[in-house]
Amino acid sequence: MSNASSPTGDPTDLLRAALAGSAGGFTELRYHRKRQRVLGVEQGRLDTSQSTEHTGVAVRVLEQGTWGFASTPELEVNAIRRAMDRARSAARASSAVRRTRIEALPPTGLATGRFEGPGVQESLDRGVEELLDLVLGLERSTAARSKSLVSSSCAYSEIFEEKGIVTSDGAGAWLRQVRPELRVLAVAGKDGEIQRAHRAIGVSGGWDCLFRSGPAEDLGEQAAKLAVDLLAAGYPEGGRKRVLLSPELVGLLTHEAIGHTVEADFVMAGSVAAGKLGQRVASELVTLCDSGASEYAEGACGTLSVDDEGVPTQRTTVIREGILESYLHNRESAAHFEVEPTGNARAWEFTDEPLIRMRNTYIAPGESSFDELLGGIEDGYLLEGAANGQADSNGEFMFGTQAAYRVQNGKRGKLLRGVNLSGQAFDVLSAVDGVGSEFKWDLGSGHCGKGQPAKVDAGGPWVRTEVLLGGRQ
Amino acid sequence: MSAPSTAVSDPAEVRARLLKRAQQAVEAALAAGADQAEAFTSSSEQDSVGLEKGDLQLARSQSAEALGLRVFSGARMGFGSTNQFGGDALTDLATEAVALARMAPEDPAQGLETCSALGSHGELVSADLWNEPTAGIVRRAGDLLELLRACDPRISLDSGSVGASRSSIAVASSAGAASAESDAALSYSLFGMAIDGDDVGGFDYTSDSTRKLAGFDESLALGVQRFGEGVLGNLGAGASETYRGPVLFRPEAFVELFLSPLIGAINAKAVQRGRSALASKLGESIGVDWLQLLDDPADLGLAGACAFDREGVPARPTPVVTDGRLKTFLHNAYTARVEGRQSTGHASGGTRSVPGIGCHGLCMAPGSGGTEDDLLRQLDRGLLVGRFSGSVDPVSGDFSGVAKSARWVAGGQIRRPVGETLLAGNAFELLGHLIAAGSTAERIGGSMRIPSVLVDQLSVTAG
Repeated sequence: MSNASSPTGDPTDLLRAALAGSAGGFTELRYHRKRQRVLGVEQGRLDTSQSTEHTGVAVRVLEQGTWGFASTPELEVNAIRRAMDRARSAARASSAVRRTRIEALPPTGLATGRFEGPGVQESLDRGVEELLDLVLGLERSTAARSKSLVSSSCAYSEIFEEKGIVTSDGAGAWLRQVRPELRVLAVAGKDGEIQRAHRAIGVSGGWDCLFRSGPAEDLGEQAAKLAVDLLAAGYPEGGRKRVLLSPELVGLLTHEAIGHTVEADFVMAGSVAAGKLGQRVASELVTLCDSGASEYAEGACGTLSVDDEGVPTQRTTVIREGILESYLHNRESAAHFEVEPTGNARAWEFTDEPLIRMRNTYIAPGESSFDELLGGIEDGYLLEGAANGQADSNGEFMFGTQAAYRVQNGKRGKLLRGVNLSGQAFDVLSAVDGVGSEFKWDLGSGHCGKGQPAKVDAGGPWVRTEVLLGGRQ
Repeated sequence: MSAPSTAVSDPAEVRARLLKRAQQAVEAALAAGADQAEAFTSSSEQDSVGLEKGDLQLARSQSAEALGLRVFSGARMGFGSTNQFGGDALTDLATEAVALARMAPEDPAQGLETCSALGSHGELVSADLWNEPTAGIVRRAGDLLELLRACDPRISLDSGSVGASRSSIAVASSAGAASAESDAALSYSLFGMAIDGDDVGGFDYTSDSTRKLAGFDESLALGVQRFGEGVLGNLGAGASETYRGPVLFRPEAFVELFLSPLIGAINAKAVQRGRSALASKLGESIGVDWLQLLDDPADLGLAGACAFDREGVPARPTPVVTDGRLKTFLHNAYTARVEGRQSTGHASGGTRSVPGIGCHGLCMAPGSGGTEDDLLRQLDRGLLVGRFSGSVDPVSGDFSGVAKSARWVAGGQIRRPVGETLLAGNAFELLGHLIAAGSTAERIGGSMRIPSVLVDQLSVTAG
């Protein structure tokens, strides 16, 4: 895609010019350019080869005790000022309906300067030919893995973002970041039975980081083998079971079961985490954090230096050794709880307002080896391979797994088909009796949804606990 | 580009402008060396009020335009999308899309379907809704909040919205497509739970979208009432029972568990690529003999109503399942070319990606099961499920997940809310175990008409 839509140089110059002389209360301007390249191939046919780019400026104002929002795709001062007028008009028109007025946002440390993530220039320089070779080659090699495969597909997606964030109280940040991801799907069939398996990776960074665990072909090999093996696999038995969760499932657990319940907007609406600060909510083996940095290992996909309110991100310890210590905040909720904002305000595109979202959420590594964790299960399951997940207001969560292995007397048994598992978030964390020492980010592909998508990551070590499995009766 | 206006635009003028832009993009692509090209462009204006924590949170005034350009160089395809239209933006977009196409491997099925110009359609727009001022949206948001506050203090609205949107689309191609359509909608959504002391109930939600101002306030009041009943009913959830047998699904849950994988399995691309469990079932029975499914783009009561699909092909009512037999797979131009047939007019999507395949407005015929009370009596003992939170494998049909807004039924009556209850089964197998459907098909989120359905042979696991 051409660079015609990008202002030359620092986009905060344009925003500052638009803001100059602006009357009224708090104003937040965000230049947001998003370029996405997607290539998808299935059975040797290139279904998608696209480059999309959408750019504009978001305006959020605090006027008469409430928020107004507008956006414009026009990258010039007068258009941005018109959007500011529309945002103010919207706020004023709705102000009378709002019961709890927002006071002026308390001063806080705001970011200024330039922030560039790893891999940006490498991505901008990489031609489509290289991407084509990657997806065509990976799909071809995957399809050749087994005669039992009836279909295979591969997709590469890469999001490049450039932002400028300027607020009337001092933020002035220019950010550029790239997030590539690669996924492969294998579908196996036999005697009318169809099973599928996928493998996906996604990072914030360059390709050296994307392929840090091995070459792309490994993903195809793993997906193909699992899809074929699942054809002959049975179903786990449903019920409350002792389980050993893989790092990606631990990531899902931290994100779905805990992360959403501690987003401060949800807390204020009455989530199960409300009123529990300082209380024990998990085993003392559990320390759970959400960080704007890629802790322990590079490349976590939710990494960002500055959030979309201009607040520098930080590592937020949500649960420390089992005690609930903090919620996740934007500036408004931080003011409500009289704490500092944690840098969790994020918007998907220029047409979206910032919401409280997670970044990289994880359980900190413990001291147990994998063999020690597995050896401690007399009768249960080893679960791996993340599917989707959701959490409820009452703390009940569910997430899907691709595969399960029966564990008896500390030994991994035969492969079984994946199931969904569920439980009460704090109960499941309280039941944790083993935390592994090896850490892995493993949820960098796909999106979290909360009205808007968001790129996040999650992970941790292997963790042993107890959950409810949804097997067959 | 022209400046977004705060004044409400004339829908006919918007359509004409979009169609002209789409045609300009096609011309730019041909000039850049494409053999064929298709442009899809959209424009939207939206005024909305966001609700959080039982209060108004943010008011929005939005306008946006975008264009997607698909080009073909022989049997090679490339695609680009932009929201920038100044200077040489369309030429740059066309140049890059053509470059992408020239790098792509050949696929004999790539290309456009010869299409008739359908012209400009404004039938979906009601003038009063198109011109609804921001003040009307704010007033309705205030009404909604007051209705909620008057319901029960235990109800907690986590988030919601009230909004009016005006949108227009146009598609033009070098194969003859030249069509434009405008639409307007008024919508609301509510998402939250009830809290009673330490008891936090499970989420529930409701939403609706209509094309007319008349009746919207009544729909909103009914939505608030149902939302309140739903979240309050989730309080005090207790244990369920483990069993294998019948479960009564309300429409949303039936869609999630059974119709979503069905729609995925009749997508012609899934069939052609070996990932449809129904690939060999065309013309054969796939469920009970009273199962009737119709995709109806002419139903103006549904949000997906339209005159043409994403590729400009006329959209027509399509019987999908008749008397339990699968009548058709759904095609866009690509899958139709693979089989040397005509598209069924089911190309879906917007400006940001190549056309996919989807339904416009799926309608399941009501059954003879009567009211929900009648269905509960027929169930006698077991689970009533309002929503489903879990995984449904669109390839195999296997599903596993948590029953939400679930109630335990005994003696044909709802006895108590239940939690930590998991469902498992296979959607395609269970279509043959439908026991009865309710006598009324409900509008689901304004986009489908589906009754409640009693289904046998579910695996239910209690926590």
